[in-house]
Amino acid sequence: MSAEYTCLVVEDSPMMRQLLVFALSRVKNLRVTEADDGVDGLRKLAGTKYDIILTDINMPIMDGLKLVKRVRTDPMHKDTPIVVITTEGSEEDRQRAIALGANAYITKPIQAPQVIAKVKELLKITG
Amino acid sequence: MEKKGKGRRSDRPPVDLAAQLKLQRESFVSTFFRKGAEFTEELVTENDRLRAALADAERDNAALRTQLASDEAIRDLLRKIDDLEREKQALLSHVHEAEAHTTQFTNRHAQIEEELANLANLHVASYHLHSTLRLPMVVRHLRELLQQLVGARAYAIYVADDARGELVAIAAEGLEATDLLPIPYGAGETQEDARGTVERAFVTGIARVEEGPLDATRHQPAACLPMRVDDRAVGVIVIHALLAQKTRFVAVDFELFKMLGLHAASALVGAQLFAAADGRVPGVEVFQGISPSIPPKSLANP
Repeated sequence: MSAEYTCLVVEDSPMMRQLLVFALSRVKNLRVTEADDGVDGLRKLAGTKYDIILTDINMPIMDGLKLVKRVRTDPMHKDTPIVVITTEGSEEDRQRAIALGANAYITKPIQAPQVIAKVKELLKITG
Repeated sequence: MEKKGKGRRSDRPPVDLAAQLKLQRESFVSTFFRKGAEFTEELVTENDRLRAALADAERDNAALRTQLASDEAIRDLLRKIDDLEREKQALLSHVHEAEAHTTQFTNRHAQIEEELANLANLHVASYHLHSTLRLPMVVRHLRELLQQLVGARAYAIYVADDARGELVAIAAEGLEATDLLPIPYGAGETQEDARGTVERAFVTGIARVEEGPLDATRHQPAACLPMRVDDRAVGVIVIHALLAQKTRFVAVDFELFKMLGLHAASALVGAQLFAAADGRVPGVEVFQGISPSIPPKSLANP
């Protein structure tokens, strides 16, 4: 039986969230949970282990970079791969996200195949 | 006549002659035996030489036979190598065929995945555009669609004010206030500047979209998308610039633009009418007579 993976998508835009969930539905054995913003994301991360986290940067209440910082102090998720998704495309933003502990950086508008490939790569899923 | 000397010949050989004969005989016998011995020696030597030659010939023969057998084995091996080479070529040919099929399949799979993703974009955009009749939410969804799905950095949404004959910006991003002044329409010849392009798109109802890479120094909008309800244009979406990482519109953008042209206006107008009706949903009476298969009375209020 194939292993089942869990993924948390943190995105304030319902439209983007739906698109990300659709893209991730193409990855076999991946169960996706949605969160509206950073605070909701942290709430969902408390007590539940996720195998991968995808988060937007620009969000109200708590942005994605703060979320990344907080996740890295959580013993349960300190090594969980994090993919940052944002409209910012500069190398500086990319470096900032990576320095805070993100593992990968995808810019909007997202391409579903790119998201799928990145998630598979980080979860080491072949095929 | 007999010779004179013959008469004196005796029957007895003279002694000298006999001795001489004896000597001669002994000499002959001695010579005979010596020659015989020599001949025998020669024969023995020759025999030895021939035996040696025979042994050599047999060795050569054995060596040649071994060589022949070895050559035959080599020929067998060469035949096997040829057979294996042919088999290898056939297998390689199958592998190449299989690889070509795999590549074809992978490409097709990627194409299908891309088309599926594009369809998902269209579905999500349309779904959210029509998921509400609250005007601010419709505008928010339009903005999200332009920013997140198309990747627009600077854009404006204009709605026609028929009373003034102007296109009025109702939402914008990344533009100065001076860029958002109302755009008059239908007052005469359109200008060749950006505002003229927006007006032309609205008046003609024909979208204008840059198809190649976007030049940062251009003065024209990247896209002007008239919004229509049935045959009537009610506004224009104008995209001036894209996000830095996006240098041109891609296939799905053109599909999104077609969808926006048809759906954005109906979503905006529907929300506007809903707001004007104070959020009241029309009664069943408005649906009377729409379907000829249902008698009007069955829909009428008692």
